[in-house]
Amino acid sequence: MTKQEPTLLLLLFLLSCSCFPVNNAQSTTILNVWPKPRNLTWTLPYQVIIIASNFTISTTTSHHNKHLSAAITRYQNLVRSEHYHPLAPPGVNISTNLPPLESLTLIVQDPDVELVHAVDESYTLSILPSSATLTAKTTWGAMRGLETFSQLAWGLPTCIAVGVHVWDSPLYAHRGVMLDTSRNYYPVKDLLRTLEAMSMNKLNVFHWHVTDAQSFPLVLPSEPALAGKGAYGSDMVYTPEDVKTIVEFGLDHGVRVLPEIDVPGHTGSWALAYPDIVACANMFWWPATGDVLAVEPGTGHLNPLNPKTYQVLKNVILDMTTLFPEPFYHSGADEIIPGCWKTDPTIQEYLSNGGTLSHVLEKFINNTLPFILSLNRTVVYWEDVLLSPVVQVPSTILPKEHVILQTWNNGHNNTKKIVSLGYRTIVSSSDFYYLDCGHGDFVGNNSIYDQQNGDDKDNGGSWCGPFKTWQTVYNYDITYGLNEEEAKLVLGGEAALWSEQSDSTVLDARIWPRTSALAESLWSGNRDENGKKRYAGATDRLNEWRSRMVSRGIGAEPIQPLWCVRNPGMCNTVL
Amino acid sequence: MKSCVHKTFPAQATPRTNKMIMMQGEPALSLLLLQFFQLLLLFSCVALNSNAEASTSGINVWPKPRNLTWSPPFQTTLLSSSFTIITTNHHNKHLSAAICRYQSLIKSEHHHPLVPLGVNISKDLPPLQFLSIRVVDPHGGLVNGVDESYTLSILPSHATLTADTAWGAMRGLETFSQLAWGNPTRVPVGVYAWDSPLYVHRGLMVDTARNYYPVKDLLRTVEAMSMNKLNVLHLHLTDAESFPLVLPSDPTLAEKGAYAPHMVYSPEDVKTLVEFGLDHGVRVIPEIDTPGHTASWALAHPDIVTCANMFWWPAGSDWPDRLASQPGTGHLNPLNSKTYKVLKNVIHDITTLFPEPFFHSGADEIVPGCWKTDSTIQKHLSNGGTLNQVLEKYINSTLPFIVSLNRTVIYWEDVLLDDTVHVQSKFLPKEHVILQTWQNGHSHTKRIVSAGYRTIVSSAEFYYLDCGHGTYVGNNSAYDNQDGDTGNGGSWCAPFKTWQTIYNYDITYGLSEEESKLVLGGEVALWSEQADATVLDARVWPRASALAESLWSGNRDEKGVKRYADATDRLNEWRSRMVSRGIGAEPIQPLWCVKNPGMCNTQHPV
Repeated sequence: MTKQEPTLLLLLFLLSCSCFPVNNAQSTTILNVWPKPRNLTWTLPYQVIIIASNFTISTTTSHHNKHLSAAITRYQNLVRSEHYHPLAPPGVNISTNLPPLESLTLIVQDPDVELVHAVDESYTLSILPSSATLTAKTTWGAMRGLETFSQLAWGLPTCIAVGVHVWDSPLYAHRGVMLDTSRNYYPVKDLLRTLEAMSMNKLNVFHWHVTDAQSFPLVLPSEPALAGKGAYGSDMVYTPEDVKTIVEFGLDHGVRVLPEIDVPGHTGSWALAYPDIVACANMFWWPATGDVLAVEPGTGHLNPLNPKTYQVLKNVILDMTTLFPEPFYHSGADEIIPGCWKTDPTIQEYLSNGGTLSHVLEKFINNTLPFILSLNRTVVYWEDVLLSPVVQVPSTILPKEHVILQTWNNGHNNTKKIVSLGYRTIVSSSDFYYLDCGHGDFVGNNSIYDQQNGDDKDNGGSWCGPFKTWQTVYNYDITYGLNEEEAKLVLGGEAALWSEQSDSTVLDARIWPRTSALAESLWSGNRDENGKKRYAGATDRLNEWRSRMVSRGIGAEPIQPLWCVRNPGMCNTVL
Repeated sequence: MKSCVHKTFPAQATPRTNKMIMMQGEPALSLLLLQFFQLLLLFSCVALNSNAEASTSGINVWPKPRNLTWSPPFQTTLLSSSFTIITTNHHNKHLSAAICRYQSLIKSEHHHPLVPLGVNISKDLPPLQFLSIRVVDPHGGLVNGVDESYTLSILPSHATLTADTAWGAMRGLETFSQLAWGNPTRVPVGVYAWDSPLYVHRGLMVDTARNYYPVKDLLRTVEAMSMNKLNVLHLHLTDAESFPLVLPSDPTLAEKGAYAPHMVYSPEDVKTLVEFGLDHGVRVIPEIDTPGHTASWALAHPDIVTCANMFWWPAGSDWPDRLASQPGTGHLNPLNSKTYKVLKNVIHDITTLFPEPFFHSGADEIVPGCWKTDSTIQKHLSNGGTLNQVLEKYINSTLPFIVSLNRTVIYWEDVLLDDTVHVQSKFLPKEHVILQTWQNGHSHTKRIVSAGYRTIVSSAEFYYLDCGHGTYVGNNSAYDNQDGDTGNGGSWCAPFKTWQTIYNYDITYGLSEEESKLVLGGEVALWSEQADATVLDARVWPRASALAESLWSGNRDEKGVKRYADATDRLNEWRSRMVSRGIGAEPIQPLWCVKNPGMCNTQHPV
């Protein structure tokens, strides 16, 4: 055994760090950081060294930030143990005359700054022979730099390029994933794995669409009956301890956990605990005659004219702000369906006295928004609250300094509408960023799939079909058509996974690597130095990155045959 | 009588040895009990027949049996902790393996339905001690057209499964396993099932060349197929992108053509897979796609492959002059005699490795531009020859050899129907050749069977599982569109085939009764440009379950009405059971839908 070890080591050595010279493809392999940093240079003579097996990450700054400590420990272990093998062998010479890299020195200017919207995430990283230094203003920038460092390391023994200098900082402050845990439930471990994967991609917001018409999985201390009756099962809930775990895990990974309690629509599940505060609860969604009651199966809207609604809501909101320290709070307000409210006698009476449904919604907003603001929260609503052609409120009751509108309809047109009215926006255009689209319709007895001529050359019945490919996500310019001032109001974007046809069996593959495409597009953009869209170059890089994510335990789906990354350029087309 | 024999299963928990030993002492008693139960069965059949329309609600077998009744008073009984599956004497190791597997599954699964069963828990009934299996001919091989029928009756205190073959017995065991649920395990009593598939060929094709799948993933897929009573795993083993199969007579093909040394299937792997298939009643049909789709062969044998490793669609050339229909170029050269030396080794090895009497030889997508790059072929053409003749030479130099090895040959339909390059039907003897259809839906099925050929249906419009995820070429500007894509998303066979699309397709649509007889069945197909082990389960299941029911018992109810609406709730339950059995099948609806039956339907055309 002992006799063979040197031979084995030598062999691995040759496998991982042999050959010469470095060409462009090789440097792509070796320096494949996703999302691509804003500025990364590797200077001559293109040397690669070994990382010592007892490599450490040390910080010169004395700090008491447990999240930073957690990240340092995590990355130190990862760098020592990952031994990633690139799909395309890097084939570079190791510089045996240089000593192994013993440590990475971390300098954080202000390690106690909290993780909030627009926190400074910039960092500089330099890897020189025998020393490496990472400098950041905040803990969160340091985490981004640690991720970059980890992606620069590969092989067994672990190698890393030296003469590397990185300056990096995101283009957009808000880079997120939205996950719907109501239509189908996801165990906590799946959420934690998603946070890990987000951190690998330098994403910083996990927008948790916790509740909807279908189920209410969140156990709230003041209103335990909501989950007690509204969850799919007693094993399909998130307890306060689970939330704490998720929030802390998010902070350890530089990911904010932004909760959404979608009201007043999408609240069918509330009726199981409080039937009296929900209009049109548990009715057939689209009766054969009469008005539609919901946009999809699962009916119910909170009743803004019932005072009890606000008793329950205040408990819910107060609990939410206790459970989630995040200063943004998402209050939903999408898809008000007139037919639902119109089933309620109180609302009918209100309407017959000359009131409108927009007044009803206004009452709801006025009874909830000031309370949420009083708890020091910025409120995010879906754009519908202002832009719905049917039921909406005037902008006068939505203070621009406290309200952000998340857009999902009509692509850049609605983004333009929102920012030109002076609101900040988060882009989740369903034409580009909805990850669930393109898998058909889920209604149970839909006859459109019984066609013997297979003449559906269209989108296959998915309302937001076709499937959004990683390129579709990558290439979307979220400030398209905006002037410079308007563009400043675009905080960023979120890829969204609505869960009608998803649960933990498909979570990773639905999200990754398409959300990696979002991550790069919002971090360093989708264009090269010449301003040209860089999706072709991104293809090979994303193949490598997807492979690395898989080896890190994220079940990201493949984007090409392995043959393509082994034969660079051969899977392109000549246009 | 024969009881469970200890055996190790590659992907299944090993049965407890001590329980196995305990059962050894019981054969004499079992024989007596079996005879007694068979007597009882005669009486009970009469009673059950008078309850033909008895309720089957609350019990869920997928694919739905042709005939299953559960008679009032809809009782259930506990499964005895010493529950045993016993059978007549036989020497079929695959049957023994299946019995052990199901005995273990039935006792340990403890399935919890999504919607609790509203059934009587009958406290007065004794626990079920035995399932007695009678197999008329336990030694028949697993081949196309083998009898898979069975009858199953579960009466208070005993249950009987009767089948003509080991394979029918396996289908019946699966049904029995799906009837069991709960902790402690219960089964309904007063159940009678008669079952037999509508189509003999019910399969899944997996492409292991464009991306590689580890053996364990293929084994899990075989398990899942068996759960769905599917009986053919068609392995599209090799293609332009890689050659993962290690062949003893020509090891360089995989050595140079596989993606990596660890991304191969060794002869031992094949043996494991084939045996595992037989243990699960699943035939493994190998496909070595030739003469097109062979670029990977060129890494070992560059001289026998034309246009190898060239850019697939050169700049300035029109689509008809492309060298391949997708990246990865190369066709075997039919005019080079060395081609056949290599091929004979390959074919011979394949027939040694795979006992299955069907051999798939590919023959799809001959691209003229590729052959035209070769000087020998150019010369042939300039002397008045045609590419059809080139293909003809290829078929005539390989088909008789394959047939001489006692194989029925499957080709993709292109060999006869391709507009550009094809051969005449006289070179494709109908008794030895089956054509697999994939283009133009039922119109090609019709063309094939009206020409007198047997066919396997894999219509791209209905049965291709990879469609609807966009194109994968690296620099496609189609996805840089700031106004959004309202079309099909660029996938050539888009849209995504939903489970309903698969379920509702009638593979004999537009055929006469005689023509329909030539339709052996169908296969859903997973081409792997955008699939590998990370997505295998979710791409295949439960959509292949939809195929499984459609081809086993059909897609219509007793009244002849398409039953997709009712199938939705049943498929939700079945998908959940597959997930708990370790198959990562994707969800088809919010859980809310199955908990609120009918509420996720529509009363409008959507």
